[in-house]
Amino acid sequence: MTIHVAHRSGAMPAPNLRRKPNLFQRILLHWNDYTYIAPALIVMLLVIAFPIYYTVELSFFKTPANLSMDKKIFVGLDNYWAILTSKSFWNVTYNTLIWTVFSTFFAFVLGLGAALALNREFLGRGVLRAVLLVPYVISAVAASYVWKWLYHSDFGVIGALSVQFGFTDRPINFLDNIYTALPAIIVVNIWKEFSFAMIMLLAGLQTVPDQLLRAAQVDGANAWQRFWHVTMPHLKGVSMVTILLLLVTNLNSFIIPWIMTGGGPAGATDIWITQIYQMAFGRIRFGMASAYSVILFIVMMLLGYFYVKALTRGDEAKVE
Amino acid sequence: MSTLTQTSPRPRPRPKKPIGGWRWAGRGILAFLLLFTALPMAWMVITSLKSQLAALQYPPQWWPEEVTFENYILLLSPNNAVGQEFLQYFWNSLYVSILSTILGVAVAVPAAYAFSRFRFPGRQMLFFSVLLRNMFPAVVFLMPLFLMMKWLGLVNTHGSLILTYLTFGLPLSIWLLKGFYDNIPPQLEQAARIDGATRFQAFFYIVMPLSSPGIIATAIYAFIMAWNEYVYALTFLNSKDKLTLPVGLQRFFAEYATNWPGLMAASFIMSVPVVVLFLVLQKYFVRALTEGAVKS
Repeated sequence: MTIHVAHRSGAMPAPNLRRKPNLFQRILLHWNDYTYIAPALIVMLLVIAFPIYYTVELSFFKTPANLSMDKKIFVGLDNYWAILTSKSFWNVTYNTLIWTVFSTFFAFVLGLGAALALNREFLGRGVLRAVLLVPYVISAVAASYVWKWLYHSDFGVIGALSVQFGFTDRPINFLDNIYTALPAIIVVNIWKEFSFAMIMLLAGLQTVPDQLLRAAQVDGANAWQRFWHVTMPHLKGVSMVTILLLLVTNLNSFIIPWIMTGGGPAGATDIWITQIYQMAFGRIRFGMASAYSVILFIVMMLLGYFYVKALTRGDEAKVE
Repeated sequence: MSTLTQTSPRPRPRPKKPIGGWRWAGRGILAFLLLFTALPMAWMVITSLKSQLAALQYPPQWWPEEVTFENYILLLSPNNAVGQEFLQYFWNSLYVSILSTILGVAVAVPAAYAFSRFRFPGRQMLFFSVLLRNMFPAVVFLMPLFLMMKWLGLVNTHGSLILTYLTFGLPLSIWLLKGFYDNIPPQLEQAARIDGATRFQAFFYIVMPLSSPGIIATAIYAFIMAWNEYVYALTFLNSKDKLTLPVGLQRFFAEYATNWPGLMAASFIMSVPVVVLFLVLQKYFVRALTEGAVKS
């Protein structure tokens, strides 16, 4: 491997192979490599590393409403304390959990069902897959308005249909009712993202060897047993990645709740992200909102740890 | 991958059997999902073909009694205020998305290549930080970036969006492109090197042309994400002539509150470019989505 590396980077093999070059020497040896990543590195430092650092810094300060940051006041952990002891925080956290868990669960289950059903040749398969993917590619803003219209309290088609079929005697006001608002927007979220799970799992299903399935069939395994004992183990890795990505996306989602309900009615659909946005750009309390972001950020890092682990399973082995 | 990309239909010998319960269950799921997916979109199109008066009826007209294209004409003709506004949003979205995509991909291509081929110190750590970016919520970046744009005097300019769209466009592009480069055998460049090409020449003349499908896929993905982006545009822009479509749509809703058919027509027009791009280049898009997550 050492010779391989030296060859690729265009350097002569080191005369003394037993002595490993130290970090500084290795960096010098590879200086040319860094020119390839330098532009990306500069951009990432500017738009990613600095914002992360600055968010953490701001979370310890009380910030003035006119946003002149040289007048910010250090308050230590006060922002965190204020958030964690506020009643609304636990309410919002509860909503966030419901939103994230239900969205992820149903998007994954529907995606898995669709992937399994699509994993055989039939007429119109390609068209069907494309149609199912359309919600995933269109703008969440457009999707939110379409669903807002579907849920409309007076002229919404869903209300009209449920009257038509005799479920209720008058249209339901989905988005203005504290019990139905959150489930209603979760449905929109599932509509938007289940096909992401579908396409990931469909790709995962290609890795299930046909011979294995046929061998199981010859051995007398029924459809369920083949699915559970042959297909599922092959889908484990991709399922992990898919679920993690869905969890992260859902924890980060802003557009659907923001446009459809704006967090209302009476905070029934307020989740972390909408709360943070409201705090930062509605009430202009950057310090408080930063502390909130850091809390969210910590949760993300926990998920991120598993994500990187799941993604780099193969990569690690290749490098060593 | 072969069935997914549909390049070579693999002959699969299947035991001839009557269609069992599981297959019916599969068909049931597909039928349900098709209705679930398509009906809202169909209703969007049907509503957009109604007059305002026809849309606000109870019970609704399941099919417009009088099909009218007035909403589309209103939005797309530059001769009235609404049309001018909408076309301006459309142009702004196009401009911002294309520029940020080009910038992101141009910066990502050499970086992804380096991550794929070179073994420089810090490679693993830097690449992990690229991956970890996917974990950060946009709001973590929103406040510092807003302040940064204020200091740079970029608030309410398209420059602020082009720059900030790199926060998601760049890591994504590096990640996707690295996957594509990993699949190109390094022997090709080694052969070119032996023939006297410099390392950069080998990259530029051998690897770049081979990876153009990957670059196209990545660019589409980045374009769609930029086209649909809402949070940064909502925060950084405030003057009417600068808005991009997602924020413009919201503006439209606030101004013409009851014009649902117009809003549906606007949503439809806004979805057309991404859906067309997606349908034409579906193969690449699907590959871009699943790249990296599936290792056989």
